[in-house]
Amino acid sequence: MAPMSPLIRRALLVALAVLAAVAGAWSLEQWLSLRPERPFAHTASGHLMGWAGLLMILAVLGYPARKYRLQGRRWSRRWFLVHLVCGTAGPLLILLHSGIHLHALVPMLALGMLGLIVVSGIVGQSLHYLALRSVNQQRQALRHQGMAEDDIDRRLRALASSEEAFRLWQAVHGPATVVFLGLSLLHIVGALYLGGF
Amino acid sequence: MYLPQSSYPIALGMTLVIFAALGAASAYDPETLWAPGDLSLSHRERACMACHEPFRGATSARCRSCHTPAAFQAAPAAVAEPHLVMDERQSCRSCHIEHRGRSAGLTFGALPAATAVNPHSDFIFRVTGAASCRDCHAAGGKGAHYGLLDNQVVRQLVARGKGAHGPGRFADCLRCHAGGHLDGPRP
Repeated sequence: MAPMSPLIRRALLVALAVLAAVAGAWSLEQWLSLRPERPFAHTASGHLMGWAGLLMILAVLGYPARKYRLQGRRWSRRWFLVHLVCGTAGPLLILLHSGIHLHALVPMLALGMLGLIVVSGIVGQSLHYLALRSVNQQRQALRHQGMAEDDIDRRLRALASSEEAFRLWQAVHGPATVVFLGLSLLHIVGALYLGGF
Repeated sequence: MYLPQSSYPIALGMTLVIFAALGAASAYDPETLWAPGDLSLSHRERACMACHEPFRGATSARCRSCHTPAAFQAAPAAVAEPHLVMDERQSCRSCHIEHRGRSAGLTFGALPAATAVNPHSDFIFRVTGAASCRDCHAAGGKGAHYGLLDNQVVRQLVARGKGAHGPGRFADCLRCHAGGHLDGPRP
């Protein structure tokens, strides 16, 4: 059997991890549902998970805000970590808040959009990782060929600029966040209007 | 090609279109858009605001606009008595639930949903001061005594019976306390 390419191996691992996380969060919600007639997701604690998840998702916006403020002058590693951690934990809390009780269209659309954001984020992160690895491999190869560092930098800059194509995923990741926030707002207002405080 | 900057206005436009579509759809089928589950057959013809008050949720006041005390008085005793007593103490939502499916039971508590009537009648609440089934029964309790708890309320009730009360003799209070009076005939 031919060995898997790094891209396929990573994609499979990520897909498995995402499926395990979704199954884990929904199983936990089932386990926490002490009363069959009132699932955890529909209790005050379940609602609290929703608020906590929303706060974490809002914290995720710190990274793009910081990036916008610095205008690409410096990469904020700390905010990026916040982005990754909150971008993982927030949606998991939202899954705990939703449970597997999917019925109303508005929150379902919001959840679907959240899934799209998470998946596109993972794809983007993977693409950047692979691009960086490719650039480093190229640098090693060019060094072995005895090319001067300046020439290597020039060659790699050309390679890196083609990496911009990878950023197409951002056309999904950022704008989907706008749609998600709109749908979430609608869901929250609707839930408070009909369900009360 | 670097799309992100140009796709934000598209996303904003999409959000507004979705808002408008959902707003329009809400007028025709609000349950599909907003309800956490299907309404029971009993309430499926009702509009949302027949039961929900804005920013207050489903309130007992809205329930009573259809399920009036007069209607309960005319109902069989097993239905009427708990309602007339419970109404004084707590909200309808303490025992009833909705949006759990077309054929789901609307009453929950220590008793099986299929027979979710109070076999003690209102009498048990009056004499014990209990406010819900769970004051004496464990949630989801099964078996002969439906998870009867060993707590202050139950112990006091047993003590008050001077030997006449005990598991197995609580089920039908009115058998001995005819008419729901404390001084009714005893076996």
